[in-house]
Amino acid sequence: MAAKTQQKPQEPMNPQLDVTAPRSMRRAGHGTTLLIIAFLAALIYLAYVLVTQSPDYIAKAGAATYGKVYDRHGDVLFDGSKPLSSYPAGQFADVGNLIGDTSGQMSNTLIAKHRSELANYSFLYGGGNQNVSLHTTLDHKATRAVYDALGSMDGTVVAYNWKSGDLLVCMSKPCVDIALGYDKIEEMPKGSLLCKAFSPTVPGSTQKVSTLLAAYQYCGIDATNGMIFDCKGSWVNASGQKINCHNRSGHGTQTLQQGFENSCNPFFAQLVQSEKLPLTAIIEGYTKMGYRVNGAEQPGFSLDGIQIPPASTTLTADTDFNTQWGCIGQGETLVTPYQLMLFQGAVASGTGKAVLPYLLSARTDVDGTVTSLGAVRYTDEMFTPESAKAVQEVMIKNAENHYYVSLPDFNCGVKSGTAQVNEDGREYENSLLAGFCLDESCPVAFCIVIEDHVKSHITSAQLAKVLLHALSDT
Amino acid sequence: MAENTTKSLSHPFLMLLILIAHAAMMLLVLLTFGLKAEVLRLACFVLAFDFIGSIVLQIVHREACTVDSVLLLVIGMSTIYQSCFGELEFALRHYLFGIGAFLICQLSYLLVRNPYRAEKLKPLWYILFFGLVGAIFFLTGERGIWIDLGFITIQPSEFVKPVFVLIAASSIRTQLHKRELFGLHFVPDNLMLIFCTAVIAGLQWWCRDLGSLPTFVAVAGCGLLLRFRYLREKMSVRLIIFLGACAVAAAIAAWTLAPAYVQERLHSDIWSDMSGTGYQQVKALTAIAEGGWFGKGAGNGSLVHVAASRTDIVFATISEEWGLFTALMTVILVLFLPAAILTVPPRSYYHSGLALGVAAVFMVQMTLNIFGSCNLIPFTGVTIPFISQGGSSMLSSGILAGFLKAAQAPVLTSPCAERRG
Repeated sequence: MAAKTQQKPQEPMNPQLDVTAPRSMRRAGHGTTLLIIAFLAALIYLAYVLVTQSPDYIAKAGAATYGKVYDRHGDVLFDGSKPLSSYPAGQFADVGNLIGDTSGQMSNTLIAKHRSELANYSFLYGGGNQNVSLHTTLDHKATRAVYDALGSMDGTVVAYNWKSGDLLVCMSKPCVDIALGYDKIEEMPKGSLLCKAFSPTVPGSTQKVSTLLAAYQYCGIDATNGMIFDCKGSWVNASGQKINCHNRSGHGTQTLQQGFENSCNPFFAQLVQSEKLPLTAIIEGYTKMGYRVNGAEQPGFSLDGIQIPPASTTLTADTDFNTQWGCIGQGETLVTPYQLMLFQGAVASGTGKAVLPYLLSARTDVDGTVTSLGAVRYTDEMFTPESAKAVQEVMIKNAENHYYVSLPDFNCGVKSGTAQVNEDGREYENSLLAGFCLDESCPVAFCIVIEDHVKSHITSAQLAKVLLHALSDT
Repeated sequence: MAENTTKSLSHPFLMLLILIAHAAMMLLVLLTFGLKAEVLRLACFVLAFDFIGSIVLQIVHREACTVDSVLLLVIGMSTIYQSCFGELEFALRHYLFGIGAFLICQLSYLLVRNPYRAEKLKPLWYILFFGLVGAIFFLTGERGIWIDLGFITIQPSEFVKPVFVLIAASSIRTQLHKRELFGLHFVPDNLMLIFCTAVIAGLQWWCRDLGSLPTFVAVAGCGLLLRFRYLREKMSVRLIIFLGACAVAAAIAAWTLAPAYVQERLHSDIWSDMSGTGYQQVKALTAIAEGGWFGKGAGNGSLVHVAASRTDIVFATISEEWGLFTALMTVILVLFLPAAILTVPPRSYYHSGLALGVAAVFMVQMTLNIFGSCNLIPFTGVTIPFISQGGSSMLSSGILAGFLKAAQAPVLTSPCAERRG
């Protein structure tokens, strides 16, 4: 190899006579060019990163002043430009754990996720301007109405326009009042810093909507509607375990519509055990709807950056008590009120797809430029349109037959539920109501949870009435 | 001849540009601080340096006007920057080291402008290299990198850089000088380069300061790559793949075998430890953000109160006061030094190696400084040539600039010819 190289004619050894550099010598120039190009490319990237990330740097370093957050009608939900105590008492008491603040006490709120975008700062204009604001889809008046109606009870109400995706109401009680600060954080009721609409909870009989959808998907509409099961107050499954009905004297022989309206546990337990509906079909149906079944991977949801975990359940055998109990909405099944609302949106649309809710509708920049943020986006198909329409019909009949007194003015479909909760050794029941309204003036899907409802002065249906009236009024 | 005419015409023009640039900067300083004695003092010193420097260069030699002009421009700019950080106070020490760098640039140019003689002096470079390594090992104390002489502190590792560049450069004649041992053919010069690289890596490890290691590795890598390419019209695909694989393997090994304190820097989140390990970077990024495109104005920054604001995070300090645009332009201006060889290519293999080695030093140092302070790579304490404060760095960079000048304006008479002459 060395001999070969030596035989090769070399470049002139007297470079004085060689005005231009030989090719092999110019390679140093090529190397330098490559280094310079790589460095310049990296500088451009650096400039891009600095310019785009600088609001984040300012926010994280605590060197920023912040703008305002508004509801859909211009009501202030947060103001970083002046002390919150200068607002009327309780102004922020119903939205604190949803909108949040810049204190860093809450990590899963709108401001926590968009702090840099709320900073009165841009790389071009610096930090002196006070124009920055975030505009949300929230209806503060309606939120306040349900907050007040709930009185001393705890719970959550979440509602959105199933046509446009506007999140209209999202209230969780107890709720931190950000205007009062965190000096007495130890004295705050548990859960004050957490929006329960985004926390998994036992769904109770609202879960029967999902089970019914799975049945419609697999068995077909007519076959499912033709199913009849008997209820004698309780029912013993193939494993010898007893499932009780809330009506201890029994509902007798029921059609599907009757079983749904009665929210009959034995009816749905028999449906789950039925040979016509194998467990694999339920698992498939649930999985399509976004449930983490038996620990399988399932993405959660993001509401403008606010993280919402997916529903989860454990289904092992169709003759197993816990499986049947889970399909009825108790035991290990957990669903967020947000996702229950989303199911209702997909049922209301009659397509099996839900419009994804969004909370941020626009942002005003430091220079006053308004950027529209909200856009209609859909979930994947969670169930077939036929199934959606069939469940819609069942739920509307349920509302007509059982909720006409509470909701006389609206074309609604609803499903109630009672969830047995055991929290820190304390057992109590939550009342749930998931539903939708088909009225043109109020196209809303919602989910209501009243905690420990036996003590409540208001029912979930009455709260739904307050909600729908507040929304249709605005 | 025509080339020389062009150069003689462009030299006064370039000097005029430098004067205008510095005058514009001084005007901004004047507008910010008002008419003060310190402003006049700064203006006089900077403009006087430009004026005297340009006249000296015009008289002495004007072949390598690009390197000299950029050097004058950059040293003047950095003096203005360093004098205005936080408040106006003429950075006399920085200014004097700038003049020193300019002078040492001319000296190093004279030393290596003849590639034949420069390479013949290679044993001297080896002696210098091991002498400096020995100085670091024995004189710094407590495994440090500084020698404290009482009135001044010296960082010998800075001076190792130009010596290492001289070692990394090689001529085709040296590459053809092969030896055989146990049936293996090898070039002694190449083995020495690898050995010196290993020595410097070991020393840096011992000093627990791996910040400059990428610079040395880059110089050695460029030197070896050029040696591979001297003797070939084209590099084979196999060789490229082999070299690429070696580089990747070395990077992976460095990443995984790095000491604990380096691993901590590689994986730490500066925002979760804003008052601890991430302090300087958080302050630097915040300052850049606050400065925006056009800065807060000279003297209006707050980063100056942070340690290393004039050295390791100087890019952020300039960005805060003068704006990101000016900081980027300053960095690009420094790039003009290694880019000079693109306008007038080197005419000897040894100078090619020198030029690429200097380019590697300048660009790797700027990369480590700028991207490290901006948290895109681990933060290391290295300087931006001519911009950061620090005498050792300034003089070392001056020596390296002299190499570039030599590559641009060489004296290509072989020693034999000189003797005959």
